[in-house]
Amino acid sequence: MELLQYSIRKIIAGIPLIIGVTLISFLLMVYFGPDKTFDLLGKNPTAEEIAEVREQLGYNKPFVVRYAEYLRELVTFDFGRSESTGEPVTGLLARTIPVSAALSLPGFILGNLLGVLLGLLAAFYRGGAPDKFIMASAAVGMSISFLIVIIAFQIIFSSSFGLNLFPVRGWSMDTFGDYVRYVTVPTLAMVFVALGYNTRFYRSVIVEEMNRDHVRTARAFGVPPAQLYYKLILKNALIPIITRIMFSIPFVIISGSLLIEQYFGIPGVGKATYDAITTGDQPVLKAVVALTAILLVAAQLLTDILYRAVDPRVSLR
Amino acid sequence: MNRLVSLRAVCALLLFGAALLVGCGSDGRQDAADPGLRVYRHSTNGVPTSLDPVQSATAYTNMIVINVYDTLYAYKYLARPFELKTNLAAAMPEISADGLTYTVRLKPGVYFIDDPVFPDGKGREVVAEDVVYSIKRHFDPAMRPQGAWLWQGKVAGLDEWKDAGSDYEQDIEGLRALDRYTLQIKLVRPYPQLPFTLAQGYSAVVPREAVEKYGRDLALRPIGSGPFRLVSFDKTRVVMEPNQNWRWQPVDIYAEGYDEETQGFSGVAAIHGQTPPFVDRFEIDFIQDSAAMWNSFTKGNEVQITGLPVELADSVLASKRPVTLREDLAEKYHITSEIETGFVYQGINMDFPEFGYHPDPAQEKRNHALRCAMIKAFDWNARNESFYFGLGVIFPGAIPPVVPEFDPELSRDSVTRDVSGARRLLAENGWTPENLPELLYGTGSGVVYRQFFEQARAWLVEIGWPREKIILKQFATFGDLNRQWRESRLPYIGLGWGLDYPDAQNTLQLFYGPYRAPGSNLTNYNNPEYNALYEQAAVMQPSPERTEIYRRMNRILIGDCVTIIGLSRTRIPIWHREVVMHPAGGMVGGFQYPFIALSDGAGGIRQAARSAGIP
Repeated sequence: MELLQYSIRKIIAGIPLIIGVTLISFLLMVYFGPDKTFDLLGKNPTAEEIAEVREQLGYNKPFVVRYAEYLRELVTFDFGRSESTGEPVTGLLARTIPVSAALSLPGFILGNLLGVLLGLLAAFYRGGAPDKFIMASAAVGMSISFLIVIIAFQIIFSSSFGLNLFPVRGWSMDTFGDYVRYVTVPTLAMVFVALGYNTRFYRSVIVEEMNRDHVRTARAFGVPPAQLYYKLILKNALIPIITRIMFSIPFVIISGSLLIEQYFGIPGVGKATYDAITTGDQPVLKAVVALTAILLVAAQLLTDILYRAVDPRVSLR
Repeated sequence: MNRLVSLRAVCALLLFGAALLVGCGSDGRQDAADPGLRVYRHSTNGVPTSLDPVQSATAYTNMIVINVYDTLYAYKYLARPFELKTNLAAAMPEISADGLTYTVRLKPGVYFIDDPVFPDGKGREVVAEDVVYSIKRHFDPAMRPQGAWLWQGKVAGLDEWKDAGSDYEQDIEGLRALDRYTLQIKLVRPYPQLPFTLAQGYSAVVPREAVEKYGRDLALRPIGSGPFRLVSFDKTRVVMEPNQNWRWQPVDIYAEGYDEETQGFSGVAAIHGQTPPFVDRFEIDFIQDSAAMWNSFTKGNEVQITGLPVELADSVLASKRPVTLREDLAEKYHITSEIETGFVYQGINMDFPEFGYHPDPAQEKRNHALRCAMIKAFDWNARNESFYFGLGVIFPGAIPPVVPEFDPELSRDSVTRDVSGARRLLAENGWTPENLPELLYGTGSGVVYRQFFEQARAWLVEIGWPREKIILKQFATFGDLNRQWRESRLPYIGLGWGLDYPDAQNTLQLFYGPYRAPGSNLTNYNNPEYNALYEQAAVMQPSPERTEIYRRMNRILIGDCVTIIGLSRTRIPIWHREVVMHPAGGMVGGFQYPFIALSDGAGGIRQAARSAGIP
């Protein structure tokens, strides 16, 4: 009951956030986004045809009316059709989000798991050679552009100039084997890049926990390292870890990875969003912004609930 | 010791994970598709948006629309210069003596693909009324059409039909089905380019019931009668399969315009006398990054054709003239070069009194000199070397080499750099660094656009234009830039033009006064003499007289120094030797691909597995 009440309160409190995010985004779309009128017109359009298209796009309506329509679409979750392809926006999202999620999740999970492991290792050997090696590697991973990593990994693992083990392009989840074939190289690239940031973050969190009085005391009492790390350090470090992971999830699900999708020819939501931004496809953009805001509120709620689950001292008020 | 053991354990775990990942994917050379199927994988560097014929404005869209729908006419597969042939039409149109009435007879027994929209799910026969309906759609605002300009003001009663509310139950005097298989088009004035428009994706034939049932979903779910049917389509790839009910006939490559001398190397003669379809699946990958495109092409089991990226020219080509591949690559790939059906050019916006028209005749004369100096400053050869392999064809005026009206004898002064001449023109007309106007150079946001700007600015600086007066303004998207052009807000325009049909009228209209922005005349040039000649030629059938008028217009345009023009890029397609084809050019009107075949390795071709009854 306490959880339900808390959830309802949190959801209600999230409404201003959603309104704020959608309002600012819509302002940017309307006043600074691309104008789609001439994309939709043929050569030598007449003034009448230009007016017709602007009317169809809703450009002639006052901002307030257009934003009110946006809120209505948000509530009904019916954002109409893409102005570029004519595809229903909900259908487009339903088609592309699972692809992006399936593409990003292995890299996201592995990146975080390995980040925690390497963070632990670095913290364990703090100041020693392994720590220096891991941190130096992390710095290298963070320094290389994601684009370079993608191109390099594509050449190394997929192309005939390298190992030629995986497809350069394409996507299929028809069978598990297909999925593994198509997701492996993108995952390796994502893990390579994420690992640097994750390892540095998790190491600092773990080192902070290691310096706490109760850990030092436990160590003095001879608590074995495994128990010390698992029970006293890692468990207490879970709060910042959960925060980092939970707030990344909306972007993993919604944003996908534009560069990965572009280079590997993967029909995910990242590419759809990018295309919508560059062509001024407002219905798609409105849906993506709204969904991201909603998921952020949901992530916030789940994070709080998970705080409570891992730390009984936290109360849901 | 404990620490060492832990470290080893973690390392072993990491290595195991990596090995597992690679091991799982070790089957990378195998195509996921049925290995028994004959699959041709094409690639393009652009992405189509809508597959509805009324929105088939780009070459990328046409590439699909033309293949899943039927048009009355089509371009011959191999003929260069381009020639029309019959497609859905049984013969070329019968044209009345006054050139105003076109009668087109359709082939009987052509069917739309099977779809639930038809009774019993069986595609019904294509009839003349479908052609009427398909063209009418361009005059119905609810369809969001883009092709009305092809027939606007030309077909009797069509504009009035739109003005009256686009009621499909209302007949149109100039667009009628005389009977089940006969179409009649009546024009208000002669329009010799009409047959070309009937080969474009815009005129592709759609069934009314599909439009009414699927509405805007038709953009993703084509219901046509073309040689292929759509299997899937997204922003990364389209997959098509042969329409087994299409009117497949043995190929006569000579009727298709085969030229042994220029096309014999490709082995395309192997399809002569054979009956397509030769592939079970036709896929097109949309790959916008050239590195990814090249990786996929060279992999061996992915895309089978690519355009040569400029940055790889030196490492891939053995020679540029003629275009040949390095020996090791030549064993695996075919290569050819073909001039594009279009060109790139720069325009000077005549709406800007600093450069263009001016109420004061003296100032207008000085502006003319300024524009001519800008043209003399432009180094087409350097542009060609820097961005187009050095293989682009530079030509004077707005009639490109790809159309029959091209004048090879025309003076090349307007495309020859002359720095001292430009400086002299400026000085003689009182232009000094102090009074030269600011030039706002609006362009796109990519690196290459920045490079175009830097190069052009350097040339202008060389003739005495102060560097700080040449200002770059980059727009985040093409939509933003296009809007600026269409609203006549930029003094300098740099863009490309792809021909809709192989007739110089299509390029000369870029400077026809009434087509000023937001139309395609983005320079807003308006010369009454030029306009009158355009109108005179527009109603003339191809003839030496019409060609002379076109050439005269071209000379007027060059003399008025309105545009820095032009260069037709050379396309360099490379394709796997196992593919039996000759690459089709980039006409916006598109090309059909029913003749694509795969080699059997012994000079012949393989039949499509399904056609040959192979399960």
